[in-house]
Amino acid sequence: MATLDRRAFLRTTGLAGLALGLAACGDNGTTTSGSSSGGGGFGSVKLQLSWKKNVEFAGEYFADTNGYFKAAGFTQVELLSGGGSGTSVESGLATGRCWAGLSAPTITAPAVLQGAPLKIVGATFQKNPFAVISLSKNPIEKAEDLVGKKIGVQDSNELVWNALLKANGLDAAQVTRVPFQSDPSMLTSGQLDGYVGFVTSGPVNLRMKGHDPRYLLLADAGLPLVAETFTVTQETIDNERDKLKAFLTAEIKGWKDAVADPARSAELAATVYGKDQNLDVKEQTEEAKMQNELVVTDDSKANGLFTMTPELIEQNIESLAKAGLTIKAEQLFDLSILNEVYQADPSLKLA
Amino acid sequence: MIGRTVLRIVGPLAPSVVIVVAAWWLALEAFGISPLVGKRPPQVWEYLTSSEAHREAVFGALGVTIRDAAIGFASGMVAATAVAVAFVLFRTVEQTFMPVAMLLRSVPLVVMTPLITLIFGRDLVGVAVIGGIVVFFPALVNIAFGLRSASPQATDLILAYGGSRLTVLRKVAVPTAMPAVFASARISVPASIIGALIAEWLATGEGIGAEILRAIGGFRYDEVWADIVVVTTVSILAYAVVGVVEALVLARFSDRPHD
Repeated sequence: MATLDRRAFLRTTGLAGLALGLAACGDNGTTTSGSSSGGGGFGSVKLQLSWKKNVEFAGEYFADTNGYFKAAGFTQVELLSGGGSGTSVESGLATGRCWAGLSAPTITAPAVLQGAPLKIVGATFQKNPFAVISLSKNPIEKAEDLVGKKIGVQDSNELVWNALLKANGLDAAQVTRVPFQSDPSMLTSGQLDGYVGFVTSGPVNLRMKGHDPRYLLLADAGLPLVAETFTVTQETIDNERDKLKAFLTAEIKGWKDAVADPARSAELAATVYGKDQNLDVKEQTEEAKMQNELVVTDDSKANGLFTMTPELIEQNIESLAKAGLTIKAEQLFDLSILNEVYQADPSLKLA
Repeated sequence: MIGRTVLRIVGPLAPSVVIVVAAWWLALEAFGISPLVGKRPPQVWEYLTSSEAHREAVFGALGVTIRDAAIGFASGMVAATAVAVAFVLFRTVEQTFMPVAMLLRSVPLVVMTPLITLIFGRDLVGVAVIGGIVVFFPALVNIAFGLRSASPQATDLILAYGGSRLTVLRKVAVPTAMPAVFASARISVPASIIGALIAEWLATGEGIGAEILRAIGGFRYDEVWADIVVVTTVSILAYAVVGVVEALVLARFSDRPHD
């Protein structure tokens, strides 16, 4: 209940305090861009996370704790907690509230199509962590199982959900969509037959509470997509390329540590960065192990973390098209910065 | 008489619309909010006029929200009036019931909503309960106060002639409470819209309360601002309508001679 309250509060402030929030952002924007042109150092920047501070951002915690951000020339990289509708990376970048953000193609693409000059420069999760999570007594294991079910979908996952329906030839009227704020107890209390969430968190959480979860990965339902993507403005790519490279280098180092040590990842999330989230170290460790499978793939082993092969980019563009987002790869992705980072220092790749 | 009343109440709205639009525009410019997120009035106008689909999205959702707000307004006002009457007729009811009413008011609605949806479902009953709770408490306090302000002399007169307490309520207390009833109706109009938005966001998943967040999720900020504009407009209009009705009804109950 306590977490629901916090989340609900975030949402409410997002809705009611929209104008107020935006006003404050504009103000911050000027100071952020002003401090970025410091001599040798890159000053302080803000990274908007896509969700509350849990183990999903283990690499960022390591980069901060182990001083990789400092070594790269940043006095500070402030990690801004996400999770409310008012705190989207795209609106943060457009208003200058943050310098970079972790988002997803399904959220960045519509912003780009609306004219926001944004690009994805790397992808932490190579595989789509989105899944429809259900319980074994009423399992949803194929897309056809969705028909006639009550599914909880967060508003920020609107496009992912529509894409899932479209990709499987389902009509929105065949499935009852229920408003959802990420509280899995709605599933166990029977208010929902399933919900859309990260496969790394929900099933682990449910299993720990003694339930028997089932899941349908969206990647297996015709929607391969990357997630936790690094999104920046075109201006940053054009004018602050070195700064961006330094940032990505620190991120790579942080995520290499995180991948190597799920237990420490969980500890950092539960006891340091996400202290106020009441996270369970054991659960977070399981999540960290599970997300490693999404972060470390054969391609990212060969080419380095966050990289995207041309095939992967093409798959993402196709998935977006299924969601009704017709966008060209070069409008949304720019992996050249990351490639330059790895060319300059091949030792950054996973051993 | 009706025409003049309408003009007197609606007339001042025209300059206030100009002020609101100017403030909206100036604030965005003053704080340098990117037009990608902070849509200006012409962009919203362009959005609404450029495509039938846009209008359908915004006004379709608005229709649902108006319905939800009306349900919440009606259920809240009816419940508040009924309870206020019970308070005035039976003292002990007030002492017992008031803490419960306060509880409804002091626990944030967003926290209670999951429970409400569990008990009352996500359909119109749930909407009526959520909207009703927002409207109920201020209306209850106002109306109970209004009913109690009945003139003691008039009350004594009716009782002396053998009238019951119900007669006192009907002949004295209710007419005396009319200004209070309308004051609470005025407060309740915007409140019922907020209640409807909360219900739509957390319970039903349709209407402006749900669409506006989906629009934010899809980076459709022109739709977001269009939603804000239409909801605000409806709110102002509904407030004005209550004002007109109030003026007409109070003129009927007034002890001053009719003009």
